[in-house]
Amino acid sequence: MKATNVLMAGFGGQGMLLAGKVLAQAAMAKGLQVSWLPSYGPEMRGGTANVIVCISKDPIASPLVSRPDALLAMNLPSLDRFEKSVVPGGTIVVNGTLIARESSRADCRVVRVDTRALAQAAGNERAVNFVMLGAYVGATGVLPAETVEEAIADEFREGKEKHIESNVAAFRVGLEEGRRAAFASEVHA
Amino acid sequence: MSKVLMKGNEALGEAAIRAGCVHFFGYPITPQTEIPEYLCKRLPEVGGVFLQAESEVAAIHMVYGAAGAGVRCMTSSSSPGISLMAEGMSYIAACELPCVVINMMRAGPGLGGILPAQSDYFQATRGHGHGDYQCIVLAPASVQEAVDLMTLAFDLAEKYRNPVMVCADGMIGQMMEPVEFRTEGRGPPMAENDWALTGCEGRPRRIVNSLHLAPEQNFACNVRLKEKYDRAAREEVRFEVYGDERPDLLVVAFGTMARISKSAIDDLRREGRRVGLFRPITLNPWPYARCRAAMDAMPVGAKVLDVEMSMGQMIYDVKLAAEGTRAIEFFGKAGGLVPSPDEVAERIRALLP
Amino acid sequence: MGHIAIEQVRCKGCGRCVVACPKNLIEYGTELNERGYAYVVFKGSPEQCGGCTLCAVSCPDQGIEVYNSRDRKVFVNTTGLTEAMTHYCPGCTHGVVHRLVAEVLEEMGLLGRTIGIAPVGCSVLAYEYFNFDMFEAAHGRAPAVATGAKRARPDRIVFTYQGDGDLASIGGNEILHAANRGEKITVIFLNNAIYGMTGGQMAPTTMPGQKTTTTPFGRDTADTGQPLRVAEMLATLQTPAFIARGTSHDAKGTLKTKKLIKEAFEHQAAGRCFSFVEVLSTCPTNWGMSPNEASDWVEEAMIPYYPLGILKRPEAVKA
Repeated sequence: MKATNVLMAGFGGQGMLLAGKVLAQAAMAKGLQVSWLPSYGPEMRGGTANVIVCISKDPIASPLVSRPDALLAMNLPSLDRFEKSVVPGGTIVVNGTLIARESSRADCRVVRVDTRALAQAAGNERAVNFVMLGAYVGATGVLPAETVEEAIADEFREGKEKHIESNVAAFRVGLEEGRRAAFASEVHA
Repeated sequence: MSKVLMKGNEALGEAAIRAGCVHFFGYPITPQTEIPEYLCKRLPEVGGVFLQAESEVAAIHMVYGAAGAGVRCMTSSSSPGISLMAEGMSYIAACELPCVVINMMRAGPGLGGILPAQSDYFQATRGHGHGDYQCIVLAPASVQEAVDLMTLAFDLAEKYRNPVMVCADGMIGQMMEPVEFRTEGRGPPMAENDWALTGCEGRPRRIVNSLHLAPEQNFACNVRLKEKYDRAAREEVRFEVYGDERPDLLVVAFGTMARISKSAIDDLRREGRRVGLFRPITLNPWPYARCRAAMDAMPVGAKVLDVEMSMGQMIYDVKLAAEGTRAIEFFGKAGGLVPSPDEVAERIRALLP
Repeated sequence: MGHIAIEQVRCKGCGRCVVACPKNLIEYGTELNERGYAYVVFKGSPEQCGGCTLCAVSCPDQGIEVYNSRDRKVFVNTTGLTEAMTHYCPGCTHGVVHRLVAEVLEEMGLLGRTIGIAPVGCSVLAYEYFNFDMFEAAHGRAPAVATGAKRARPDRIVFTYQGDGDLASIGGNEILHAANRGEKITVIFLNNAIYGMTGGQMAPTTMPGQKTTTTPFGRDTADTGQPLRVAEMLATLQTPAFIARGTSHDAKGTLKTKKLIKEAFEHQAAGRCFSFVEVLSTCPTNWGMSPNEASDWVEEAMIPYYPLGILKRPEAVKA
């Protein structure tokens, strides 16, 4: 695979750090090199929380990335701040629940998902992070969906098994959304 | 052994246990707090001792007491806390006791901020506390290297009976990467020795002391320490070279900044530029001769760029290595801002013909 | 009847024994020993000496041996101290308290299992005098060093020996938290109301109105606060502990203090609790007094403010 770097950004509490960890775990399970670099700051609830996940078959040089291949923007400040940094031809997943405007990047594949509605449909309205992750994996095929699902399941072991099903379900509805968007953009192209 | 995805701070804690260190004394400070948080859970499982001290001052003196009593021990902190430990480090070095101190550097001066920095380079490599002593300083650039260097840190601490500092920037502590631990379970305890205070039953009494009122005696102590540091300079220098061997520009950087520079170098080499990296892994002893050799291999007119997350501290060592044979350029940011791969690449481009 | 042997070379001529002898059998001498001190002399006859040992108990310099009527030694110098002669000024009672600690450890059979810690202050050279494993430590940090050593070697006896500048001022935080954690260590705290080593500056324990080199007009409590009663402060902690205050200014007080020190080490040896013995002591040099004037000053000025006795015992062993 081609090395890929994804920036996941949102409010603290939206679960983007966890979604990033799951992605990194899944990539590791496929024998790839990974790094997971969070922004860390004096964060209070509602502060920003970003993470950059690098995935590559070669050792990862900089875990800090100037131009990510993909951006998962959970809120408007994240889209405003990072949209321009995405490489041309990259992927931008926009959380349509909280972001009213469209992406200004015509040269990127933009996937818009109503995370809240989809998470509710999956039976876990908090699992918006996995809806986003699903949409990203569906749109890019960066990793096999089942590998990511296993990584989600691994995250909820040891007494938290009851959360596996609904989080995986949230990932799947996101995945379908992402695949549909990718298919549509290819047809359109 | 299989790889696990771990945060740098937690991996360092586990690495200490694998290296046989089961006595930890520390005080919370961002961005290293996950080290004590990890160890307070893990150490009781392996029969170890975790103690949250009342201050960094107390923590380092607890380390002094435990090291003097002959157990493998450590503390960890971040920049402002390390400043408070200066006193104890000086005593530990003077009394020739082994211990490991982790500095997960954050931005300063003063309270500064909690974001990553490499601004404690002077502090780490130029003594830190009072008196003619030095720490051996190891600078990892990845979580795996941090883990590997912890084992080395305890080995060197005991080989030289001297504090060893593992000096990383906050990014290494906060980042998750796959890690492989090379050994299983709790490592071996410190070997029996002839200096630890254990109670004098059946042997002459021992004293751990750094007071030498007679100047000749104090000088002798200083000479003995210097001989150790000279030996370490001969035997312990570690570094990495990367990229072109005869580059038109050589980047010198350590820790995370070296990794960031690698990405910039990769980009430039794809453009056909000849760029290399020299990365000191031991910040003290510093690999002067090897860095000089890398410079001497460069074409006439080739440049050297020192890149740091500081206003320029290691650059003085790069200049010492060059001994005036080349001009040393500098690029750096401080205060918690981290030069991006693009910024480093841009700076290199501007310097290349 | 008994008699005493004064080791001339060890005597600093402080005269504490002169005052301690209930029969006034010792007097100040006029001959100088090789160190330049006018050593005391025994002026009585063997029939007069009762062999009570109070002279030896008050001697800070291990300079007197006492024999009974059958010529048997009734006061034996402890093996817990080295032969070294101390650097303390004449009449300073550091030497007395060193001896009490060493005697207790010897009597309890603990010398081979003990790790002592003496930080900065007049007693910084205590490692030259205590005849077992010793740390020298940074100013104020001995309770932290002791914490590390005790946690590393829980089966050893670990104690600190600290002065008032060290413990009550720069090391205020370390002693407070070691006590509050209930570290199973013993702290011997010498309170002589002044900084001795640096030449007589104000300590946190300096008495109101007391002249020091940094309070030349007397300690003004409105400006510098009241003398710290460390034992009382530590006794307020909820953590179980043995907290006591004794004195070393006279023979009677010294004998009582030895009992306190012994109990302190017994609590540690039983793994019971933190133990702390404050000992009032004299600093004739920096107080500008003769040794015996200094002893009187402890009695008149210090004890009323720093009352003697046991302030706290662990619940389990309360009588």
